[in-house]
Amino acid sequence: MILPLMIMKKITIWSGLFLCLLMTGCQRQEELEEGNAVYYWRTDFRLDSTERVFLNQYHIQKIYCRYFDVVMDTTQGRGPMPNATISFSDTLPRNIEIIPTIYIMEDCMHQSHQGLAEKLVRRIRQMNETNGIPNVREIQIDCDYTVRSRNIYYEFLREVKQAWSQQLSTTIRLHQLSMTPPPTDYGVLMIYNTGHPENYMERNPILDIRDVSPYLKHLNDYPLPLSTAYPVFSWLRIIRGVHVEHTVEAEEILKVKRAVEQRRDGLKRSIITYHLDKENIHRYKPEIYEEIYHH
Amino acid sequence: MRRFITTSLLAVIALPMLACYWADNHNYYLFSVYERTEFSNRMDEITRNNWKAYLGQNDDSYFFFRADDIIKAARKKGDALMVSYVQNLEKYLRCVAIEERKQREWNYPTKEEINACRKNLQAIRSYAAGKLKTRLRSQHALLYMRSNMMLGQHDTNINFWEQTASQYIETVYKDMMKNIYAGALYKTGQEAKAGELFAEMGDYNSLMTQYYKKRSFAAIRQEYLRDPNAKVLPFLLQDFVNNSQEAYDACQPHGEGEAFGGKLFIRDISQDEAKQMRNFCEQVVKERKTEVPALWKSAKAWLEYMFGSKERALKDIRTATTLSGTERIKDNARVLRLYIESALVPQSENYDNWLAQELEWLFSKQAENHYQNVLNRVTYQTLKKRYAESPERMAALFNATGTYEYETYIDTMKVERLEDYLQYTLRSPRTPLDRFLWTHQKKTEHALEDLIGTKYMRLCQWEKAIQWLKDIPTSYYEKKGYAVYAANRKYDVAPWIKRQWLRSAVLYSNHNGKLKSNPKLTFAREVQRMEGELNVLSGEELKKRYYELAIRYAQASYTGDCWFLMRDGKNVSDSVRVNETDLAAKAAELLRKADNSKDTRLKEEVLFAKAYIYMNPSPWYTLTWNSNTYEYDRHPAPQSAQYKAFASLVEYEKSINKPSGYVSKCDEYKQFLQAYNHR
Repeated sequence: MILPLMIMKKITIWSGLFLCLLMTGCQRQEELEEGNAVYYWRTDFRLDSTERVFLNQYHIQKIYCRYFDVVMDTTQGRGPMPNATISFSDTLPRNIEIIPTIYIMEDCMHQSHQGLAEKLVRRIRQMNETNGIPNVREIQIDCDYTVRSRNIYYEFLREVKQAWSQQLSTTIRLHQLSMTPPPTDYGVLMIYNTGHPENYMERNPILDIRDVSPYLKHLNDYPLPLSTAYPVFSWLRIIRGVHVEHTVEAEEILKVKRAVEQRRDGLKRSIITYHLDKENIHRYKPEIYEEIYHH
Repeated sequence: MRRFITTSLLAVIALPMLACYWADNHNYYLFSVYERTEFSNRMDEITRNNWKAYLGQNDDSYFFFRADDIIKAARKKGDALMVSYVQNLEKYLRCVAIEERKQREWNYPTKEEINACRKNLQAIRSYAAGKLKTRLRSQHALLYMRSNMMLGQHDTNINFWEQTASQYIETVYKDMMKNIYAGALYKTGQEAKAGELFAEMGDYNSLMTQYYKKRSFAAIRQEYLRDPNAKVLPFLLQDFVNNSQEAYDACQPHGEGEAFGGKLFIRDISQDEAKQMRNFCEQVVKERKTEVPALWKSAKAWLEYMFGSKERALKDIRTATTLSGTERIKDNARVLRLYIESALVPQSENYDNWLAQELEWLFSKQAENHYQNVLNRVTYQTLKKRYAESPERMAALFNATGTYEYETYIDTMKVERLEDYLQYTLRSPRTPLDRFLWTHQKKTEHALEDLIGTKYMRLCQWEKAIQWLKDIPTSYYEKKGYAVYAANRKYDVAPWIKRQWLRSAVLYSNHNGKLKSNPKLTFAREVQRMEGELNVLSGEELKKRYYELAIRYAQASYTGDCWFLMRDGKNVSDSVRVNETDLAAKAAELLRKADNSKDTRLKEEVLFAKAYIYMNPSPWYTLTWNSNTYEYDRHPAPQSAQYKAFASLVEYEKSINKPSGYVSKCDEYKQFLQAYNHR
């Protein structure tokens, strides 16, 4: 059948518009490669057999390994200083990429500190060299930045990026989703510590979908590629004589995961759990971990 | 030594790093027979004095060890042995610094530096071994053992101590060698022996590293059966009693179950285990095998207080203070007696006089952190209840003890009582307790006068407020944390039309707190004048005045932008406090009086103000959780005051047909309008 010219023109225009829309959509959010990862948040790098099996079982490709913290030196006034540096008492697992992760206290970003980015990058490089950690191509900076510290933090990230000259990522807390995104290659959306510890009777302070949901609306438009990090840790406290262990029900994690991925499909591509530890591994059944790491 | 401890701690405790939330709820540990920093402090002090003596410096100009100064002095004395010792000691310290750099310096060591460090340590070790027959043999022996420790040669250190160094004369160097020896025993699996030595030396940190996972009634009993005077027993007992206190505190109404600063090693102890321990303590005292019965009797008294009979606890602690023990153990019994007596004995003049004497003693010991904590707990948990009926004494006590309760207490007490307290601080004391409190008051000029004036403002008693505020200089307010808000916000701006958010550049600048006048006095005078004129106004003028006053009350309320007029700080969980008028409610009442104006502009503003969230007890909607959309759904609540206020506004806007910009741009209004039109 031959269509009249006018109709053909209309189809061409609408197809063009549709294509444009599709392309705009693709350009807006470049998503990450598929893969599984863990955070390692202890002060001594030493893996037991359970942890090594876990890495193998769930095809973990990356370990975001906390190298050290940066804290303000209040006693001697030396500005931001490294603290609680990790020791490497064990060999690193083969074929897993190590991503040095640095936790920076927010108050370090209340004013700019000249040369801090260079010092930080130099220290990471030296730690890699001294401890024989090869092929590190990415670093991650973790900071609970606020409106007060954001501008200085972003400037600091630009300096880190320049000094490192390879891949740079940062953590994004839910409340930070409403801000301009940081100048990094991608962000890790931290989906934990969502509630206030004081309200532990009403909400699980580690994770509750009701605390997550107000932020879901920002996900689709957030311009930075994102990985997602889910909590598998516990939190111990003694409350009114009762030993209270806050853990997140597996169902809650999966419910949040579904809600998050419903808003932005690409968030199922790169998944991280916080944090690698034998006790955390035993906390959930293998099928739960399968679900969490499901792409 | 610190190196050994740090290394040990790192090796043994590789805890996950967790961010913690904590708040002070005053339940610090009372039981302390072991000072946490005793060993390292003692070592530091003696070595410091030794170097000072060598340099011939008797004044305070000596700060810390500097190899160059010692070498210079040694050369002047022709002391070649000291020169070589200090040179090698300096080399050793450089190796220690490399280890330190791994932890907390920017220049992380290179592989070459670490290898060079090992070579240096070998050389230092050989050098020191060759000087063990010199007059500085103790120093060289320590250097030898330190090098071995860093090289991980623990067996060598054990042999060296047992065969050689243990025979040396008593010096600080020998103490340090003994500590390294204990560490070597621990590292090579001889834990009981190591524990005794750490305990003997008062090395709390090493003990905690070693016994971290071995703390229980069963372990203490076993240790006692092995040796009733085992040196590790006071440490283990202290740890047990403190962990019992942790469990007890968590059950108390004021305990809140929060974690504390310093409470790093919490072990959950059951009541049954605590009672077993209590009975065992009594048994130990009866068996008379212990040389320190005061320790066991005090532990029994405190466990009895927490888990048994309070009366028996009082009897026990009184007995404990008469039994033998070390000075620290006796001080511990005295602390517990202060707490238990203060909690249990009836109020009397005798008690007050005794308390004055005990507090004076406790104040004399405030240089140590533990006794500051004791003072905090005793004040908050026992004395606060005891002097609740005597507010001026209570305030004076909070002030003297420096607890942060002082600020909250005086902020919430009735204004008349605060005036009494001010007088109390001004008149001569009459009793020993008053004299004690009087001599320990910490005063800030104008602070009490400002607070009394503010309290009258909170009660809307402007005349009295002005009397108290009129002599306070503006400079006093410029030092306040809220000065930047006071300088940049105006109380005559309608909060429902314009919120006065401060840009962060203004908020965090140090130069934006300059005030033109005393902000509270200015406000009080203006409101007083405006209210004074109400009687002479009528009609539209009166309605306008009500509206203007409503703006001022709304601004001064805790929900307003000028909250600093009535309080020092603001947080999200704020509410109307005790002894304070609900200023927002007063503003709402004034808005009702300003209603129905013939002036269309005023009428619209008043209707808009009445729909303002803070002028209403609840919102115009209720929320329910939707588990399909993962969002809250809004359901209009037509019975709520805000709904009615919004509905009146909508109807009025329909009648005038052209809403003002602040109405049409208001997102809440738009949402309401949508819901209202679909009802």
